[in-house]
Amino acid sequence: MQAVFFLNSDISPKARQEIEKKLAASATVKKFHYVSPEEAAARFKDKFPELSRVVDSLGFNPFPPSIEVTFSKKSLSSAQVEKLLSTIQSIPGVEEVQYNLEWVDRVQAFGRLITAIGFFLGGILILASFFIISNVIKLNVLSRKDEIDILRLVGASNFFIRVPFVLEGMTLGLIGGLASLLLLFLTIQLLPLYVGTSLGALTELIRFRYLTSSQSLLLVASGIFIGFLGSLSSVSRLLREE
Amino acid sequence: MIELYRIWKQYQKPHWALSDITFKAEPGDFWFVTGPSGSGKTTLLKIIYREIRPTSGQIIINGRNILRIPDHKIYQLRRRMGIVFQDFKLLFHKKVFDNVAVVLQVLGVAQKEIRRRVFQALRMVNLHHKMWEYPSQLSYGEQQRVAIARAVVNQPQIILADEPTGNLDPELAFEIMSLFKEINSQGATVIICTHDRELIRHFGEKILFLYKGKILRKEIL
Repeated sequence: MQAVFFLNSDISPKARQEIEKKLAASATVKKFHYVSPEEAAARFKDKFPELSRVVDSLGFNPFPPSIEVTFSKKSLSSAQVEKLLSTIQSIPGVEEVQYNLEWVDRVQAFGRLITAIGFFLGGILILASFFIISNVIKLNVLSRKDEIDILRLVGASNFFIRVPFVLEGMTLGLIGGLASLLLLFLTIQLLPLYVGTSLGALTELIRFRYLTSSQSLLLVASGIFIGFLGSLSSVSRLLREE
Repeated sequence: MIELYRIWKQYQKPHWALSDITFKAEPGDFWFVTGPSGSGKTTLLKIIYREIRPTSGQIIINGRNILRIPDHKIYQLRRRMGIVFQDFKLLFHKKVFDNVAVVLQVLGVAQKEIRRRVFQALRMVNLHHKMWEYPSQLSYGEQQRVAIARAVVNQPQIILADEPTGNLDPELAFEIMSLFKEINSQGATVIICTHDRELIRHFGEKILFLYKGKILRKEIL
């Protein structure tokens, strides 16, 4: 997240030093960069080449010097940033701050919403996979009902009958977990290419990242666990109904 | 010892499949249960291995009331029994060997021991040369012998057989019956349902005659 302090053209070097000292001392600031009027003009010409002649024709450089500040991600809480902003703004020579706190709040709220939606969808998917696995096993048990009946008549315990079905459920869960890891990998690899630059700053905000190895392991383990629960519940229910 | 006290069984009103059956088989007994179709022979056997529960009455096997065994522990009772079902109940997608081996597998017997005993059981019924075939490749009589091998492979204390020679030629039927006799002589209690009079005449010691679910008479020769 960035803020830009626009300075007076005639700001004293002392005042500029003071600002830079304050920024360097603040824990919320990740980095900052002084943009001289010359650099600002050069950037403008670079971005809008068709307007570069307009700047030249003015005969003077209309761009004020500025300092671009990048805040560290962790310090996005508005209160801390706001305090720093007002301190710097009170230094003479600082003309204007371009920083929209409301926007930060909104982005944060949007982030929380995305997280909540993620959890919600995740929960639904977990439930769905639980039911899918338990139904697959249920169909399997029903199709092998004769065999199960025979096994029971020759003295097989419920445990003996259950084991193959539970192993099957766990294998389904394992395959599901690995498949989702693969899909996630492909999404992360391909989505930025597909969306390209059209999202602009938003890609920076969303920042696709791959799961860590422990998270991946957890995902696969959860798959196996859901497979275990789903198959166990459906086999047990059918064995009880006998 | 198998003891049935005043067993009544009703599938559908108003008919009684079994009416007031009291019957006792001592260890080492060899019983034939006979009677026309629908007389309740199969129902009686099903009640003994507790595939079905009687409407009323009690069944004590080796001093234990089997109607009080919870469903999830009924396998303990069946592990002591060898059962030949009227419809064989073979696993058709498994080979003959595996059909017989399953009884030992559920007990957790070692693989080497399973191979030895299954071979022995199949040799007794003269089917060891068809060990690696599927039941569907066998004749009806051969399938029946697989079912018999499965019932005896575990050397159970109790053997229950529902028409075990129904599809066999007389010669083979006699052979199979001799096999049951041999197992019986080793101490197992054997109960065989049949309406083959020839067999009963030849092998019968104790005979229970059923008619319309009632005991017509008991004969001890």
